[in-house]
Amino acid sequence: MKTFKLPDLGEGLPDAEIVNWLVKEGDTIEIDQPMVEMETAKAVVEVPSPFKGVVSKLHGKTGDVIFTGAPLIDIDDGSGTSTAPVTTPIQQPAKTADITNTTTSTTAAAAQIFKLPDLGEGLPDAEIVNWLIKEGDIVKIDQPMVEMETAKAVVEVPCPQNGVIGTLHGQPGDVIKTGAPLVTFAGTLSGLESAPETQAAEPTKSDAATVVGAVEVGNTITTESVSAIAGSNLKATPVIKALARKLKVDLSQIQPTGADNSITQADVRAAASQGQTKTDIVAQKPATSSGTSNPLNFKASPAVRALAGRLGVDLAYCQASGKKGSITRDDVKNATHKPSAVSNIQQSTISATTVSNQGTQSRLPSIQVTPKAIRGARRAMAAAMSLSHSCVVPVTLMDDVDISSWPKGTDATARMLRAIAYASRIVPELNGWFDGENMEVLHHPEVHVGVAVDTPAGLYVPVIKNAESRTGADLRAELNDKMERITHKAIKPDELTGATISLSNYGTIAGRYGTPVVVPPQIAILGTGRYRDELKLTDTGIGKARMLPLSLSFDHRACTGGEGARFLAALMVDLKLAK
Amino acid sequence: MATVALIEAVNMALAYELEHDATVLLLGEDIGANGGVFRTTAGLQERFGAHRVMDTPLAESMIAGLTIGMSTQGLKPVAEIQFLGFIYSALDQIITQAARMRNRTRGRLSCPMVIRAPFGGGIHAPEHHSESTEALFAHIPGIKVVIPSNPSRAYGLMLAAIRDPDPVIFLEPKRVYRLVKHEVEDNGEAYPLETCFIDREGTDITLVSWGAMMHETLQAAEKLAQEGIHAEVIDVACVSPIDMPTILESVEKTGRLLIVQEAPKSGAIGSEIAAEVAEKAIMSLLAPIGRVSGYDAVMPYYKLEKIYMPSVEKVVAKAKELMEYV
Repeated sequence: MKTFKLPDLGEGLPDAEIVNWLVKEGDTIEIDQPMVEMETAKAVVEVPSPFKGVVSKLHGKTGDVIFTGAPLIDIDDGSGTSTAPVTTPIQQPAKTADITNTTTSTTAAAAQIFKLPDLGEGLPDAEIVNWLIKEGDIVKIDQPMVEMETAKAVVEVPCPQNGVIGTLHGQPGDVIKTGAPLVTFAGTLSGLESAPETQAAEPTKSDAATVVGAVEVGNTITTESVSAIAGSNLKATPVIKALARKLKVDLSQIQPTGADNSITQADVRAAASQGQTKTDIVAQKPATSSGTSNPLNFKASPAVRALAGRLGVDLAYCQASGKKGSITRDDVKNATHKPSAVSNIQQSTISATTVSNQGTQSRLPSIQVTPKAIRGARRAMAAAMSLSHSCVVPVTLMDDVDISSWPKGTDATARMLRAIAYASRIVPELNGWFDGENMEVLHHPEVHVGVAVDTPAGLYVPVIKNAESRTGADLRAELNDKMERITHKAIKPDELTGATISLSNYGTIAGRYGTPVVVPPQIAILGTGRYRDELKLTDTGIGKARMLPLSLSFDHRACTGGEGARFLAALMVDLKLAK
Repeated sequence: MATVALIEAVNMALAYELEHDATVLLLGEDIGANGGVFRTTAGLQERFGAHRVMDTPLAESMIAGLTIGMSTQGLKPVAEIQFLGFIYSALDQIITQAARMRNRTRGRLSCPMVIRAPFGGGIHAPEHHSESTEALFAHIPGIKVVIPSNPSRAYGLMLAAIRDPDPVIFLEPKRVYRLVKHEVEDNGEAYPLETCFIDREGTDITLVSWGAMMHETLQAAEKLAQEGIHAEVIDVACVSPIDMPTILESVEKTGRLLIVQEAPKSGAIGSEIAAEVAEKAIMSLLAPIGRVSGYDAVMPYYKLEKIYMPSVEKVVAKAKELMEYV
């Protein structure tokens, strides 16, 4: 007597339903004769008989669900009436007869052949990829026996029963036809096999398998991440934060009611329905540092950022004249005219390189800074400043002059030129040239004022000749003309030489006092800062005064401190006048 | 509180709604007696009866039609399409009927229905079983497309999907069905729809993903953090309509965007997010928008599956590349 148990008809399917018996009790059947049609999750499969004999019992009727591994049919093969025979198995497939005839310690009877089931959807065959068991192994039901590759996937074929492996019908690489023998069991172990145990184990076994493929099973228990809420010591999960964003609720204002002081969805919804703690959208924006180091403080398209990078312009120095406060390409180009914009970024990229060279964790890639030759006006400036620094002994006097009496619209530069001319007449020692090598000094009878002009190309100092004998309007007209021609690089060299004294009106940009640099052979330079209104004590009480800061630098080799101070005093006398 | 995998969380949400709302019912192939090919609906037919958890013939178009009909007449059906790759014969019903019923009837009828389908690769499945075609549905006005990435979200979003008054395509990333477990309280509390979730806060680069790829993306963020790059990670969760304000705000903060998707690159959800960011936040971009995605090719059989799908390494490499724009 043989009991045939339902093999796995698919890929780890737990059970199958009897659709139709093709044999009935008492029938004589042959090996491989279809016995029953079983329906799995995906297909109806005919189950062939592994034995030859007489059907003695059908374990179920149409519509019954049989668990994989549970008895399906009893076949009397002449080996005994009701219990498993110990001796004389007959009419076994020839290939396994020798094994079964010499059963020893196993109580099992005849060999049973497991045939390759349909592993997919009507596939004709499958290839052995890898045996997971070997002959002689004791195996348990559902234990993976072999990896088979079908046209579609690699599938692990589980063991249909507890038992001992007799023969493996093929090597890795062999193609096995569906229905052909795959494994022959040498016998079953009575100790292992126990129908009730098998049945009981069935419902609890992990059922992660599927009709197709293999779903990875993990037992890691994770939780939703929690993160801090800005402005409070509370934390919240992504869903709470998302809900708060959606309902515009400020989480930092919520009194949590959940366990462990956690904010619940109900808390957020309650806050929203009460109309409280609506956050200002702007306030909710992430706080960015106000410094110029964060490029996201400036709105600029990638193309504009790229241009700024090419030109070495720091966006912090660009106007934002574009849509919605964005920086345009023209803004970047205009910023190149400001020396500060360019030099600043060069400094910062150099320092970034230094940092990464030190092997710190800077993510900024090191940038190769290629020095470029300084030409033109900038070269001339550098040379003049070096010369000054190496020979001039500068002194700077500073004072404020009250210009409250100036009528509205007064041309400050013109007044400064006039004041210099006036002071030069009172104190001639500061207007002229000094030659330290030959120890000669020339106090010039005329006043030729070099006026510092800031341009993108560098510092230009056009010379306004004979300031002592000309009107303010005349001086202004000449200055405008020269500035215009500097812009177009149309200024002639002789218009830039011959100054006897200089004026730098940096106050139009910023700065109160300065230490202007005397450029030899000149003796003095006047710097004028930004004017300001100040409280002033007068005879009649407290009044307002508009103060213009003056910084006069002179070469102490060429004149005395007293001369310098008197020159400054004379400047102030003239500047104080209303006209 | 139960410790559940994503698949069990879906089951839990379905059970909750079956129990608390008599108009909710399930239908699909093998979902009843069998419990579904992945066992998503295991035990539900036993518990709620065959009239609430119905096995259908193998006919997706019919399943969709049945679902639409039920939903217009006062029921809240939740249909399962066994694999997303089988849904295409139902597309006609979904697009020509479900998506536009509310509009067509000027609001008199609507389709409060859910179509669930496992999707995505990574389980060594055969053809038709592994693709990610969420963008097909996202393109259709009138339907929402929801993709949970972890067990908590599967529970909360499934409840929200069932309770939503309009059709929702609920795509379950089957590769992570049983990958991790969450403690999920079976309290019937839905998550908000049409909302992104920020799973990790950062300042240097925004990583955007959804579904199974969230697991790779979060691992990539962890690796980047070890190298001093602080990534913000956003789970889109609802890929149609997309909660763009959350993504835009993040990009404005970080200046960089990397989108990670399993689907083919072209004409995809990632394309839409990239376009929106280019339209609305280009002034904040410090680097090109990056995408790590599947290829514009048919999802390959299992041997090439890993090559096709985005990996942690690919995401890390692309993020670092974007960080080189300073």
